This record gives sequence, structure tokens and C-alpha cells, in this order.
Amino acid sequence: MSNHVFELSEVNKRVLQNINLTVNQGGRVMVFGPSGSGKSTLLHLFNRLEDPDSGEIKYQGQPIEDYNIPKLRKDVGLVLQQPYLFSETVIDNLKYGPKMFNEWDEAFVDELLDYVNLPKAYLDKPVEDLSGGEKQRVSLARTLANKPKVLLLDEPTSALDDQNIESIEEDLLKLMDAWQLTIIMVTHNLKQAMRLGTKGIYLESGKIVETGKLPNLIEHPQTDSLKNFTANQ
Amino acid sequence: MERDVSNFSLLVLIVFVMIPFTISYFYQLGLKKDILWSSVRGAVQLFLIGLILTYLFDLPPLIGIPIMLSVMITIATFHARKKGKELPNAFLTILLGLVTIEIFVLGLWLGFDMVSFTPEEIIPMSGMVIGNSMVAMGLSLERMKAEFNTNEGKILAALSLGATPKQASHITVRRTLNAALIPNIDQLKTIGLVQLPGMMTGLILGGVPPIVAIKYQLVISISIFSTVSISAIIVSLVMYRFFYNEKMQLVDFEELKNKNG
Repeated sequence: MSNHVFELSEVNKRVLQNINLTVNQGGRVMVFGPSGSGKSTLLHLFNRLEDPDSGEIKYQGQPIEDYNIPKLRKDVGLVLQQPYLFSETVIDNLKYGPKMFNEWDEAFVDELLDYVNLPKAYLDKPVEDLSGGEKQRVSLARTLANKPKVLLLDEPTSALDDQNIESIEEDLLKLMDAWQLTIIMVTHNLKQAMRLGTKGIYLESGKIVETGKLPNLIEHPQTDSLKNFTANQ
Repeated sequence: MERDVSNFSLLVLIVFVMIPFTISYFYQLGLKKDILWSSVRGAVQLFLIGLILTYLFDLPPLIGIPIMLSVMITIATFHARKKGKELPNAFLTILLGLVTIEIFVLGLWLGFDMVSFTPEEIIPMSGMVIGNSMVAMGLSLERMKAEFNTNEGKILAALSLGATPKQASHITVRRTLNAALIPNIDQLKTIGLVQLPGMMTGLILGGVPPIVAIKYQLVISISIFSTVSISAIIVSLVMYRFFYNEKMQLVDFEELKNKNG
């Protein structure tokens, strides 16, 4: 059996053109590029919030259409750019996914809170009372509560200050090691990509312009467009 | 003898129309044309309906009633659908909804001998039920679109966590229902206190004793109350599905708009 969690061949969807890529088990893939290059759309395809207009996506060696959709979305968890919390308490948000699958495990809460650095006292807090950084942590914890195998992150730190960015990155690194998670993350922050990723994909106008190992890809770009992009950071 | 409004008295109504017309003239509201047009149109429409009703009332009930009900339901469907043109199956949902509602009230009225099967009773009372249901369905459609629009992020988040469309729409459907039902409940609370309901007023003017008029009013008010609720429920529970495709993905509003004009 192949080591590929995801395989995309000749995928087209809106701005995305002829995307071919593979994501390895346990890989930490960083997707970056200018805005409007199709980064979020790419993440939506992995979670099936959207389907390609043409081309094929395989998940663990099988066509993605073969999987039960809610189950796939649970396994391939997505953290959206905005936290979009449900307007109740923190614990209600954490329970949302697992309750749908009758898999809510009260004992797991402590571990979950630990991973995202939130005190237990926060559980009964209404989400409206949280700061931006805290909301993003709850959003991350809400996705993790489903115990995903793959974690998709859409610029989860874009609205945060340096201190919060650093601490969420630490949480993620801790998680990736402990859970052997495969991560696909969209970021506009190249330093972050180098800190967290093992593989980089540079997207521009819907096309993969350059891809390779990190940090090498960013430190030694081959194409003019990636050279320009890194120079402007 | 039945009371009538003389033609001269009707002409005097022009004075009533002239008041808003004059206000619009002096304050340059730009409504003069609208005021005149709606008054003339309203009057002509009512007289035409009067003529049609006179004709229908003379037909055997089994012919006249179905004809008039079909016309009313069709017009109401076209009107309510305007609020959700871009949504697939809105027309069919509203049409079937209104037919169901009409069958439901007819069953209730006739089954329990509240109303007799004559055009004079069935047509105006059905008109009130269909008209109110039409407004409720239109409002629910509009509200539902607005809720889906404002909550798109939360719905995406719910779907991405493995929610089915039904689970992801739970809050949206609840809010739509709430918004549709609250004014309905408020209206029933103040009935008779703020203004005497139209049907009762009509009956009293026609010489029916107030207590009898109130009984009829109760029949129609409760019927409207219940059918408006059913309308909101039908629209909410059926229409949310069309915001998703069969792959449990949120359908693009803009794409839908372009597709269905």
C-alpha cells in the first residue's frame, strides 16, 4: 500500500488548474502563495467542502468519493481561517463534532485543553467572552476533538499577534509529534512555513509553480516568481 | 333589507385619496403617481373580484369553489416565490404547501361543521388563509436566505466537522421558524384589543350579532394562526435542503442566482 494520504491528479477547480500533488503519511505540507491563488479552495477539496470540476483525488489509495462524507470530514479535519464558533459555551463547541458520531469522551477534554493551552475554567465560558487568540484555540480544539488523522489549517494564525502565533505553533508541533498527524497548512508567513513544515508548495494563479523540501525550497527558490515572493516577505 | 353604500358615497371616497395625494404634492414626496395608480388599481381590482364572485356564487359549489381556490393558490404561489427565485423547487414547495394547507383547513371546517360548503363562506375564508400563508412563506424564504448568508461561516464549520446538512442547518431553521412565528403569536395576543379583525367588522356591519361574528372570527383567526405556522414549518423544513447539493456541500448563492436568473 502506498504511503500517500492524498494524491491529486490533474485537478481543476475554479482558479486551480491542473493540480498534481501527493501528501505523505505524517507529512507537514505548507501551502503558500499570493492571495487569490486558490490556497483555501485546495484545502476545501481535501475536506470535500468542495469537489473538483475535473481530475481525481485519492484518499489513502481510494477515490475520495468512495468514503462516507461526514466520516471523511471527521478524519480530515479543517480549521477555518476565522474561528466561526457556535454561539454557546466552549465545551458545547468541543462536543459538537464527537456528539454527532456518538464518540464524546469526557476524559479526553483535559488532554484537548492541554494541547491548545486553555485552562479548564474556560469550558463553561460563553464564546463571546473570548479573545481572538482564545477563539482560534477553541476552533483548533473543536476540530481536534474529532480525533482527525489529517489536519487542514487555513491560515490559523493570520489574525494573531506574535506571542499568540508562537504559542499556537508550539501547540501544533506538540500535536504533530504526539498524534503522528498529517498536516496541510495554508500560510502567508514563510518563516512559519519553515518552522512547521517538511514540504512546501508554492501556488500562484491556481498553478503549482514550485514544490520541494523545506526549508530548502524557500531558501533557494528556483523560479523567478517564488524568488519575488520570498523577497517581498 | 341589506345595507348598501350608495354610488355617491363611493365617489366621496375620492376625498380620502386626495388627502395623501395633497400631502405628497406639498412635501414633494414623489408619491402622487403611486397614490393615484394604487387607488384606481385597487378599486378596479375589487370591482372585478366582486363581479367574478357574483358569477362564481351562482355556480354549483363543486365547480365554483375549486375554480376560485385554484386561481387564488396559483397567484399566491407566484407571489411568494418572488422572495426565493434563485432557490430550486421553491415554486413546487410553495404550491404543494398551499394546497396541503387548504385541504387541511377545509377538512377542519367542513369536518366539524364550522363552515358550510358554499362559495359565500369558503371563498373569502380560504382567501384569508391562503393570503396569510403566502405572506408567511415569502417571509420565511427571505429570512432563511438571510440566515444562510450571515451564518455561512458557521455552517461551513459545522459541515467540515462532519455535520449533515440537517445538523448544520439546525440553528438557521430554528431562527427562521422563530422569526416567522413570533409576529403571528403577538397578533393573536392583541386580537380585538387594538383593532377589530376584518371579518368580524364585516359581519357586524352586515347585521350579524357580535357574538356570532366573534365565533366566526375565532374560527378564521385560529385557522390563520395554525396555517401560518404550518407554512413557516413547511418552508423551513423543506427549503433548507436546497441550500446544499447531494454531496453535502453548501451551494454557492451567486452561482445559484446566475443559474436560475
